[in-house]
Amino acid sequence: MTMKFIDCNFDRWHEATADDSLVAVPAPEPFSLLGVAQWNAVRDSWPGDVPVGLALDNDVDIETLADDLPRLALVALRFPKWVDGRAYSQAHLLRARFRFAGEVRATGDVVADMLPLLARTGFDAVVLRADQSVATAKRALGFFPQGHYQGDLIEPQPCFARTGAAEASPTP
Amino acid sequence: MYRYTDFDRRFVHQRAAQFRDQLQRHLAGELSEDDFRPLRLQNGWYVQRHAPMLRVAVPYGALSAKQLRALARIASELDGRADGPYAGRGGGFGHFTTRQNCQFNWIALPDSSDAMDILADADMHGIQTSGNCIRNITSDCFAGVAADEVVDPRPYCEILRQWSTLHAEFAFLPRKFKIAVSGALEDRAATAWHDIGLQLKKNASGEVGFQVRVGGGMGRTPIIGTIVRDFLPWREILVYIEAIVRVYNRYGRRDNIYKARIKILVKAEGKKFVDALEAEFANILEHDLDGSAHLLSDGELARVAASFAVPDGLVPIEQAKAVDPLRRDAAALHPPAYRRWLERNVHAHRLPGYRCVTLSLKRARQAPGDASAEQMDGAADLADRFSLGELRVSHDQNLVLPWVRESELQALWLAARDASFATPNIGYLTDMIACPGGDLCALANARSIPIAAAINERFDDLDELHDIGDIDLHISGCINSCGHHHSGHIGVLGVDKDGKEWYQVSLGGSDGSALARTPVAGKVIGPSFAADEVPDVIEAVIETYRGERSSGAERFVETVRRVGLEPFKTAANAVRRATAAHA
Repeated sequence: MTMKFIDCNFDRWHEATADDSLVAVPAPEPFSLLGVAQWNAVRDSWPGDVPVGLALDNDVDIETLADDLPRLALVALRFPKWVDGRAYSQAHLLRARFRFAGEVRATGDVVADMLPLLARTGFDAVVLRADQSVATAKRALGFFPQGHYQGDLIEPQPCFARTGAAEASPTP
Repeated sequence: MYRYTDFDRRFVHQRAAQFRDQLQRHLAGELSEDDFRPLRLQNGWYVQRHAPMLRVAVPYGALSAKQLRALARIASELDGRADGPYAGRGGGFGHFTTRQNCQFNWIALPDSSDAMDILADADMHGIQTSGNCIRNITSDCFAGVAADEVVDPRPYCEILRQWSTLHAEFAFLPRKFKIAVSGALEDRAATAWHDIGLQLKKNASGEVGFQVRVGGGMGRTPIIGTIVRDFLPWREILVYIEAIVRVYNRYGRRDNIYKARIKILVKAEGKKFVDALEAEFANILEHDLDGSAHLLSDGELARVAASFAVPDGLVPIEQAKAVDPLRRDAAALHPPAYRRWLERNVHAHRLPGYRCVTLSLKRARQAPGDASAEQMDGAADLADRFSLGELRVSHDQNLVLPWVRESELQALWLAARDASFATPNIGYLTDMIACPGGDLCALANARSIPIAAAINERFDDLDELHDIGDIDLHISGCINSCGHHHSGHIGVLGVDKDGKEWYQVSLGGSDGSALARTPVAGKVIGPSFAADEVPDVIEAVIETYRGERSSGAERFVETVRRVGLEPFKTAANAVRRATAAHA
């Protein structure tokens, strides 16, 4: 899974309306990114061939969307502050429990040093905070080339179950 | 001891390289203080009242002599270094904490990545010793050597250490998250006071499992953890903890830092929390992609456990040849000071002919838990000479030598005395727990070290300490409770009123160890005291105990529980001077 760095100037996805609370009924335009209330208003009428995505706050229970996930091309998970880790669990559930195969995108307060965490919990696209460098973010992905101890969405097997990762005989 | 594999060794070096990159970006102005702070915290770097503080992880308190020398090297070369910004202000020592870690207080931030390299070279790190993540796993300081051990907790601790290290999903929890594991009859790790407390046990068929408690903690709201499983099969432990931490990550409060620990979620939701946890656990195993990948196998347990076999060079001693140094007739011949040390600092061992020995870090004119670079080197030498190169850090902020031959006890006593580690006060009033307090910590409301020193000075008579007997005195400089005042038989808490230091005294708390089996928070005995009243209050409380105890065998905490707080309150109020008007 390669990480996609989204340049907002060249992004085909667009928010149907900035304010989810308006509960506008968006027209079925391709690559619309909807809030949960908007989606609930159109989910019964949205044409199957028009790509649609959902933008979620980090307190949304992924379980409540289980039936709709196969219809979504994108789920954008918002970090209100980068040290608020709820969206990592949302991403993990999307991928590991509900087998969501579309794009999982990190938005909001997304900084370069989060990239290893994002990649390992199932995100495959990020919109970095405006002041962040893509080069730094890409470099942040490379510090642990041998992988990690516990399994994740990149390598589901923990170190102890991977052949040759944890040598049976410790070195002196 | 656990022996690092090539993977482990590369991992800590990669972590050190990652931190060096982050530090350099910060020093170059590319990474703001706000964005750097959470990154440095998760490597053990705070910025305290005067200078940065480094907290080094000592996983489940196990330390080799070589590692202790690396800590000594950090103390002597980087802590308050002569050509650095903090020269002459402090430094040159480490502080061992209740969570079995080691802290340094005077290292300049630009030197921080060098410290991480020194640690990595000694198979150590500062990973997750701070920040809102899963912290260092703590355990019994006698793990693997305790005479009362049911299951050796160390392999499980190491497996948990590895699993929790840089867990991507759980790096930014609502608040810090602490796990303690015990495998003995006596709980020497205060497990009930942890976010997760694990007690290893065997069922009727001899199978190993965990009693699991969730939601213990101190701070403003002291709560004992709730037992959510009485016997969780050992293979399932990682998956079960994943379920606990995921429920917490999703639903723990983030709007108020004082209500963000898992204890608040468990308390508020009660059975709903337990139901959610069990549902999550079942979901992982039944529905998740590779959800059973973290069930433990016999092979993995055996691989890790192999590290914890008896150390190289251990000479088995036949039961028949073991000489009990405490045997009455033999003991009578010993010098009184040695006899006292044998009674207090020497503990039972699971192997015949061996003993565990506590090196006391509670001595006059030195803060509880502190050791200078020279003393750390001295302790490392003692470990090499008498304990097969291994030490432990205890929850009570002492060092322990776990593999001492009974035949060498007297030689060890002499050497430990020369190296300032032989104060025969383990378990006594002066073997107190204390946080660094307002002298160093930015969070503290009041100082702890001068209070500890004043009490130490007041109770310097060993006969008197002996008469007072076993007692836990715990001192915290603020409500964050690093000094565990809630669980002290006597607890002292520093509070701030109008910019002045005051001290609240509580009685009857317990960490859950054998002296008072039920873990419970102590009760406050009235309005706060002034700093200079505290030693008098402690003395008054102790005198009350001596007057009220039913016999010499009744311990302080037992007397408090039997007679209640009133006589102690009256005695404490009688010594008020500065605070008399408010009482």
